[in-house]
Amino acid sequence: MLFMHEVHSVAGEREHEFEAAYRDGWMKVLAQDDDARLLWYLNHAHGSGVSYRVVTITAIRDGAAYERLADRLRRGDLLDWSRAVGAMRHEVEGKMLHPVYWSPMQEIDLATVPTDGSEHELSLYMEDTGWPSAPLDDYIRFWDREYFRNMRALAPEHRILEIEACFMVAHGTHYRPEAILMQKILNYGLLLSLISEPEEYDPDVWPGRYMHGGLRYRDQWESKLLRTSKWSPRY
Amino acid sequence: MLFLHEVHRVVGAKEKEFEVAFRAGWMEALAADGDARLLWFLHHAHGSGPSYQVVTVTALADGTAWERLAGRVQHGDLSDWAREVDSCRHDVQGRLLMALDFSPLDVDLGDVPTDGRRHEPALYMEDTMWPKRGKAEEYITAAGAVYSKMLGADAAHRLISIEAAYQTMPGAGRYPEVTLMQKVHDMRGLVRLLTTDMPEEMARAGNWMHDALEFRDQWRSKLLRTAAWSPLT
Repeated sequence: MLFMHEVHSVAGEREHEFEAAYRDGWMKVLAQDDDARLLWYLNHAHGSGVSYRVVTITAIRDGAAYERLADRLRRGDLLDWSRAVGAMRHEVEGKMLHPVYWSPMQEIDLATVPTDGSEHELSLYMEDTGWPSAPLDDYIRFWDREYFRNMRALAPEHRILEIEACFMVAHGTHYRPEAILMQKILNYGLLLSLISEPEEYDPDVWPGRYMHGGLRYRDQWESKLLRTSKWSPRY
Repeated sequence: MLFLHEVHRVVGAKEKEFEVAFRAGWMEALAADGDARLLWFLHHAHGSGPSYQVVTVTALADGTAWERLAGRVQHGDLSDWAREVDSCRHDVQGRLLMALDFSPLDVDLGDVPTDGRRHEPALYMEDTMWPKRGKAEEYITAAGAVYSKMLGADAAHRLISIEAAYQTMPGAGRYPEVTLMQKVHDMRGLVRLLTTDMPEEMARAGNWMHDALEFRDQWRSKLLRTAAWSPLT
């Protein structure tokens, strides 16, 4: 299974039209066959980064389905939609992702993904993108051993987030070396503490062990705080 | 057919190792089946842009072939190769491209050389354009109807010719984005292009350089020189 990750630089005055085009256009059109489903529609939270950025993630069955979708956008039934959306954004940066071996999200049953736009509460994700200085495979294994397993083992009241997916870039579609974590924030109080309180990490105790040990693999990453729309299929 | 376009920032001290890895590793590994072929291995000419950058273009039979290749790199027989190549470069920026209707490149994967045969280097001007918001389709139409015909009008005196024209595939790079692979035929003409101002008449209405401003005013040209063994020259 492939995941199409797109970062849209939206024209500010057209943000509502853009969102409607994804809800009433992209999501509904994809629902008509079994090739792909929109999973997330996420707004990069104002006040935490760049303005008017939207992240969408679409699950695609396989490479053949991806090629069919690209053809539909280029010269098929999605051309008019693509043209209209193109006028609502400055640009879009896309990449295709594969789940890594330990990612909780692997295959998705596309038929179970909601496509009716039903509304729900909002949720917040921390999307981390890391660029390792160590070999990519070693970095991904380190995330498994030292981050994912320890985070999952924490008592619920101490868990700031849940790691829902970990991806690497499918060859040739973006930057390498790079890996991505999709993490749902569970506890906004702990997030506020993380952001507002300086922390001295003890290298012998987790999470200090992870923070210190991680420097052997990378010191460059970026976190984005992304808020789901109220109709985003996943939230 | 799809095209895998990669820009590698190579570790200067390992540039020869990197080149060998592509010639003896990538090119020959791909030759074992019908999914893909390396087409071009190109050095960004020193003195015309960033240092130690290599551009490779690999042709892929289709989306399924790309997915198989990506799997081989991620966890298959090419993962060790990828790890070795990563140690020879700082990073790589990849994208998938689809041929535009007016692209002249017509590749039969079975005919692409994979034996590393040597030839004279060739120079390419690779132009990447970012059309204005909502103008991508109009730009592509105009580029095919006007620009490509303009370049091909006088074959005997041409400065460059379009060898391939691409649009970045949705979900695999920036959109909208158009890339032209243009072979340089006239080195003196290239020097004139670089050292003289554009003639005034070319900036008037009715000329491509003027009229195309409606669709785009942002692009980047790279001068890329083929390696002596690059399958396409």
